[in-house]
Amino acid sequence: MSITALRRLILIGLLLAIGLGLSLASPSFLKLDNLMTLLQEASQTGIVAVGFTLVLITAGIDMSIGAVIAITAMICANFLTYTHIPAFAFIPVALGAGCLVGLFNGFFITRFKLPEFIVTLASRGILAGLALLIAVKDADGFVSNVFIQDPVYLGFGGTVGPFYIITIVFLVLAVLVQFFLKRTRSGTNIYATGANPTAARLSGINTDKTIFAVYMFSGFCASLSSIFLSARMMTAMPEFGIGSEMDVIAAVVIGGTPFTGGIGDIWGTVIGTVFLAMIKNGILKLGISPYIQPIVIGGIIVVVVVVDVWYKGFAERLARNRARRRTAEQDRAAA
Amino acid sequence: MAENSDASEEVLLDCRKICKSYNGPMVLSDVDFSMKRGEIHALVGENGAGKSTLIKIITGVTGRNSGTMVFEGKEIGHDHSRTGAQGLGIAVIYQELSLIHGMTVAQNMFLTKEPRMPVLGIINIRRMNSLAQAMIDRYGFNLKATDVIDGLSIGQRQTVEILKALNGKASLMIMDEPTSSLTSAESAQLFGIIRQLKADGISVLYISHRMEEVFDLSDRVTVLRDGRLVEVLEKERIHPNEIIRLMIGRCLDEKDSKCVMERKGGEVVLDVHGLSSEGKFSDISLQLHAGEVLGIGGLVGSGRTELVRAIYGIDAHDSGSISFQGKPWTPGVSQSIRGGFGFVPEERRLQGIMGGISITGNIGITNLDSIAGKGFVSDRKELALSRKAVGLLNIKPAEPSLPVGNLSGGNQQKVVVGKWLIRDLRLLIVDEPTVGIDIGAKEEMYQTIARLASEGVSVILVSSDLPELTRLSDRILVLRKGRIVKEFAEGAVTEEDVLRASSGILEGGAA
Repeated sequence: MSITALRRLILIGLLLAIGLGLSLASPSFLKLDNLMTLLQEASQTGIVAVGFTLVLITAGIDMSIGAVIAITAMICANFLTYTHIPAFAFIPVALGAGCLVGLFNGFFITRFKLPEFIVTLASRGILAGLALLIAVKDADGFVSNVFIQDPVYLGFGGTVGPFYIITIVFLVLAVLVQFFLKRTRSGTNIYATGANPTAARLSGINTDKTIFAVYMFSGFCASLSSIFLSARMMTAMPEFGIGSEMDVIAAVVIGGTPFTGGIGDIWGTVIGTVFLAMIKNGILKLGISPYIQPIVIGGIIVVVVVVDVWYKGFAERLARNRARRRTAEQDRAAA
Repeated sequence: MAENSDASEEVLLDCRKICKSYNGPMVLSDVDFSMKRGEIHALVGENGAGKSTLIKIITGVTGRNSGTMVFEGKEIGHDHSRTGAQGLGIAVIYQELSLIHGMTVAQNMFLTKEPRMPVLGIINIRRMNSLAQAMIDRYGFNLKATDVIDGLSIGQRQTVEILKALNGKASLMIMDEPTSSLTSAESAQLFGIIRQLKADGISVLYISHRMEEVFDLSDRVTVLRDGRLVEVLEKERIHPNEIIRLMIGRCLDEKDSKCVMERKGGEVVLDVHGLSSEGKFSDISLQLHAGEVLGIGGLVGSGRTELVRAIYGIDAHDSGSISFQGKPWTPGVSQSIRGGFGFVPEERRLQGIMGGISITGNIGITNLDSIAGKGFVSDRKELALSRKAVGLLNIKPAEPSLPVGNLSGGNQQKVVVGKWLIRDLRLLIVDEPTVGIDIGAKEEMYQTIARLASEGVSVILVSSDLPELTRLSDRILVLRKGRIVKEFAEGAVTEEDVLRASSGILEGGAA
C-alpha cells in the first residue's frame, strides 16, 4: 500500500472514531439535523478549500481567500441595496470579482517573481479595506447591516431534501475538480508545476499560465462560498470570511496536501473539511466554550504537520533501504 | 584505416570554430566537433577543459560568441535555446532533475504528450500505460509503467529519463557523467541501453572521467584541453593511456614545478582510523602531520567531499574513530571551531559566503567568540578583525562594509579563507579552493596555503585540479568509490599518476 493511501485510511479511521465517540457522548450528535448542519459547515470551508488545494499543489499559498469572501459579500450587498438587478445577473459579476483577484495575484507572482505569500497577503489587506469602503453605510457613515430579502438570493441558503444546496454544490465541485486534476493534461500540469517547476518548464509546460489559472480558481471558489454564506446568514457584513484562512489551511493540511507542492488531492481535502467541522461541532455538543476552537484547530495543525514530517522521513528511509537492498541483489546477480 | 567508410556515414551534428568567453578569458577557442548518426562519442578533458561549456552551447543553455552549428543538415542560429534544442531532438539525460516526483513512470514519459480520449480531452490512462509499458519492454527494462518515481533507485530514474527522451523523439542524447552515482550493476545496465540506442540509430554524446567506460563504449573520442580541440581519436586508437596522455598534454612538454614530494615528519595532529559512512566512504585511515599539506584526489563523487565534511563534523559518520592532537575527538562543528579547525567548503556561493552581508559580517560570524565575549557584538572589534583579514589576504576592494556578493570570485574566496586565518588555526580543510577564480587570485591562494603550512598549520586539500594538487601537496591520497586506493607519499608524482589512480587504472605500464 502506498504511504498516501495508508495515511488516508488512518485519517478516515480517526474520523469514524471521533464520530463514534461524539455520538456516545452526546445523544443529539447523530440526529439528521445536526449531521446536515455539520456537512453544511464543512461545505462552507470546503468550497474555498478546493481552490486552495490547487494553489497548494503548485507550491503556492493564497492568503487573500478570506478577504475575497468579504469583498464578494459587499458587492452583492450593494447590488441588493441600490439596484433592482436580479440575483442571477449580478452573482456572475460577484464571482468574476473573485477571479479578478486571482488574476491580480497571478500577475504579480509570475511577472515580478514575487513570493506568493507577500502578494496574496497584500491583496488580503487591500480587499479587506475595500470591503469596508464599499460597505453599505447609514446616514452617519457607519457600516449598516444589510438584511437580504431577495428570494432568489436567499434560495442559495436552502435545502434539497435533507441536504443543504451548498453541500451538494461542494460535493459536485469536489468530484469535478478531482477528475480534472487526475485525468486532464491541465490537471497534470498543476502537479508538475508544484513538484518541480524547472522540470515542468523543460517538458514544455507553461507554468506561468498554470499559476494564473489556480489563483483565479481559488478566488472563484472563495467568491462562490461567500454567496452561500450571506444567503444562509440572510445578511452581508464586511467582516465575512476575514480570518477564515485558518480553517481552510487546517482542512487542507489535515487532508494530506503538504505545503511543499506536487502532492495532494481533493478527496483528502473533503475528508479534512468534514474532520474539522466534526471537531468544531463536537466542541459545541460537548458544551465546551467555543472560544477554545481556534486553539484546538491551531493545535491540530501542529500535530498533523509534525506527524506528517515524521511519517515522510520514515517512509523515505524505508524506500531507501528497499532500493539499496534491491541494487545489492542486482549487483550480486551481476557478479 | 576506417576513415574512408566513416566519411560516407551521415553527419548528425557539425560544430565548427566554436568560440566562447564569459566576460574575459576564452573558455572555448575554435573548437570543431562533429557527431555521426548512431555513434557513441565520448567527450573527455580535465576539469576546465571546456566540456560542459560545449555541451551547454549544443543544448542551447548558453550562447556561442562565434562559429557555426549544423544539426541534421539545418543551420542552428544564434537564437538557439533550450526548448529549441529539445524540439530538434537534442536531449540531455539529467540524473533526476527533469522527473516529476509523485508521478508514475508513464506519466513522466508522456508529460504534456498524454494520449487523450476523443471527447473532453480526458487522459486515456490505460492507453498511456500500455504505450509506456510497450516501450519499456522493447528495451527490456526492469520497470513497470505504473511505478511511482519516488520508489525508484537512481539508476532506474535515469532509465526513465532516457525513456522520456526517446518518447520525445530524441536523435541525440547527451549524458554528462551518467555513471557517477550508479552501482556497478546499474552502470553495466546503462551501457547495454546505450548500445541499444546506438543500434536504433540514436547518437549518444558521453562525458565521463572513467577511462575504462570511455574505452569500452565509444566509437570516437574527442579530447579537449584548455578550451581547445586536441584530437579526435578513431575507434582503433582509443586507449586509456593514450587518452590520459592527450588530456594532460603539458606534463610531457614541461616539468611540473613540484612533482617531488617529501614526507613531513612533524607530530601527528589528526589521526583518522577506519572512518566509514554508509554509501559515502568506507574504512578511511589517514594521519595528518603538523605543517603538512595532505592532498585528496579522486573523481567527483568518489567521497572526497563527504570525507572532509565528516572530519569537520558537518555530517555524522557510522563507524571509525578520530583523534586530534593525541586525544580522542568527537567531530562536531562547534568543537572543530574551538579546536582550531577551519573549513573552506566546496560551493562558495551556497556554503561559503553570505552574499548580501558585508565583509565584516561574514568574517565576524565565525569569530563571535572574540568579538562578542559578553553576548553583545562589538562593532569596533568586528571591524578591526575584518581589517586584519582584508590586509592579510589582500582582499580587494579593501572595504569591509562592502557586501561579499559584489566582490569577484577570487576575493570572495579570500573572505572565506580570511575568516579562519585570523583565528588560532591548527588545521585548515579546503575543498576545491580555486574553482571559478582568476589566475592571480589562484596564485595568491597557493601562497597562502604554503605560508600556513610553513607556520605549522596542517592543511587538507581536496582538489580536482591536478596541477594544483601535485604542486601544493606533501602527500596525496587518492579516493575511488569511497576508498583510499593509492597513496603518493615520497618521490616524484605526476598528474598522470593521480588521474590513473582516480580512474581505476592502477598499473599504467605500456601505452
